[in-house]
Amino acid sequence: MTVTPAKLAPTGRPPAPAAPVRKKRTPISRVILTAVAVVLGMAFVLPALWILIGSFRPTLEILTTMSPLSWHLIIPSEWTLDNYVRLLLDSGFARALLNSFIVCIASVLFGLIMSSMAAYALAVFQFPGRNLIFAIIVISFMVPFEAIAIPLAQQFTDWGLGNSLIGLILPGIGNGLAIFNLRQYFLGIPDSYREAAMLDGASEPRILFSLYMRLSGPALTNSALLIFIGQWTAFLWPLLIVSDNRQQLAPVALAGTFGEHAADYGQNFAGTIVLTLVPAISMFVLQRFFGRLSIGSGEK
Amino acid sequence: MALPVTTKPAAANRRRRAGRRQEMLWAVVFLAPAVVALAVLRVVPTVGAIVDSLYKAFPGGIIEATFTGLGNYRSLFSDPAFVDTILRTLVFNVIINPLQIAIALMLAVLFIQKIPLAGVWRTLVFVPVTVPIVGSAIAWGAALNPNGPVNALISAVGGDPQPFLTSPSQALACIIVLASWIGIGYWMMFLISGLQAIPEELYDAAKVDRAGPIRTFFSITIPMLKRPLLFVLVADTVANFVLFVPVQLLTQGGPQASTTLLMFDAYRTTYGYGSRNLGAAEVVILTAIMIFFVLLQFRLLREEKTPR
Repeated sequence: MTVTPAKLAPTGRPPAPAAPVRKKRTPISRVILTAVAVVLGMAFVLPALWILIGSFRPTLEILTTMSPLSWHLIIPSEWTLDNYVRLLLDSGFARALLNSFIVCIASVLFGLIMSSMAAYALAVFQFPGRNLIFAIIVISFMVPFEAIAIPLAQQFTDWGLGNSLIGLILPGIGNGLAIFNLRQYFLGIPDSYREAAMLDGASEPRILFSLYMRLSGPALTNSALLIFIGQWTAFLWPLLIVSDNRQQLAPVALAGTFGEHAADYGQNFAGTIVLTLVPAISMFVLQRFFGRLSIGSGEK
Repeated sequence: MALPVTTKPAAANRRRRAGRRQEMLWAVVFLAPAVVALAVLRVVPTVGAIVDSLYKAFPGGIIEATFTGLGNYRSLFSDPAFVDTILRTLVFNVIINPLQIAIALMLAVLFIQKIPLAGVWRTLVFVPVTVPIVGSAIAWGAALNPNGPVNALISAVGGDPQPFLTSPSQALACIIVLASWIGIGYWMMFLISGLQAIPEELYDAAKVDRAGPIRTFFSITIPMLKRPLLFVLVADTVANFVLFVPVQLLTQGGPQASTTLLMFDAYRTTYGYGSRNLGAAEVVILTAIMIFFVLLQFRLLREEKTPR
């Protein structure tokens, strides 16, 4: 996302008549705007900074520096990795983290294949009821999963999918926005590519997997990110479907340590940082694609 | 079209028809996984919830469930506590969604201005989005502790310490703050893309017409941003109607039911009180509200691709 030139120019004075001067802004308003931006940025990041720093200091120090207000709130007198060590070695969090990874990667893999296939059929083939099927698929997958998670969990438990990887993965693969994104992207690929590939004797699956998907890097990245983050942050579903602690996913495991020993903020904060870093790293790496997520602004 | 056309038109037609039949077949094959997933993951639980909501059973399931029609709905809506939950959920959404989107819009407008390091300040606002909500809830729970840093800050500027999550009149407001800390940066990114898509010439024209910044904002920015604004507003509403984690982790619906929102109530009725059928009725009510908003959202998305 690049910084574009300012579009609103609250100069606070009537525009100067001469063209070269017009582009210039009064330094005062620029200073104020910058100050506001800095203060707001700081206000938003401060709680996150507190978590980050707290994860590297002894729990007792987090508690003693909370009040009264002083610089010690975010400046530790002692740095330690103890919270992370305890978190990963003692609490079973490491296993939960591994479970989360497996679930996320499998969900992205199956989710992308399923979404691409559906998107391809809905973008390329002409058949009666195409728009209706598209609407039904996207609308149903857009109803937030949480709304029907409770009856689905009862259903899955009845089917013996409780405490299973399949039970954890399945709900994450259907993502309406992923299908929507991919279809929009596929619609932009010229039909002549497909015709050329067909003349070369390529089958439909071949055209999808080695032509369309190869051309759709940004849309695939977006969809992968949507599925990954959806599964990585899922809380309600693993809470409902997993009763065996060894099968549990990281967010619920973290909440579990919060419940057990409410005062162990050091460990809680360390867990929060670990859970944050994984999607944050993938997001920042893929940040240049992130702008394309914004379906709401399709004015391009 | 460098096709070596050697066949007669009739043969070509036949081949095209065969091709279309084959396309039909491939369409079925390609759509099958998504349709099956849809049936298993959405239709089955929804139908299951509707059916369950029409039966009455005792917790434990020793006695066979009996058909009761709309009895569960009747008993829900004749329960003042449930009516309060519905009203509370509506009020919560009427406050939190416009609030988040208004702040997100102001921040979006601010961060597209020509200011030094605008990208950095914008990223700082986006950072909370990357923190999983479980972690955010734990951290805000600690921060809003009566002896926590927020009260320390209030004391430092001369105010009285507040009870926050332990007060029936403040707990829901705390949940709003927590959810907005995460939500604002997220929706801001959508609005920034929307703002960047507004043609520069419009602003130049406004300058030529000597329109002030406020006039420009309401006459150009808002109308041009209508679609992205509506989209984020509806999407935000959908997300906040099923807000669950902070309530579950921090307040358990209390104190004095002040943070009992519909999603949490459905969970607690089903698992906490073991009333599967009553819980199913709550899920059906929640799902109906969700479907309404999603249809609204889909309409907005569809308008995006209509040619101008």
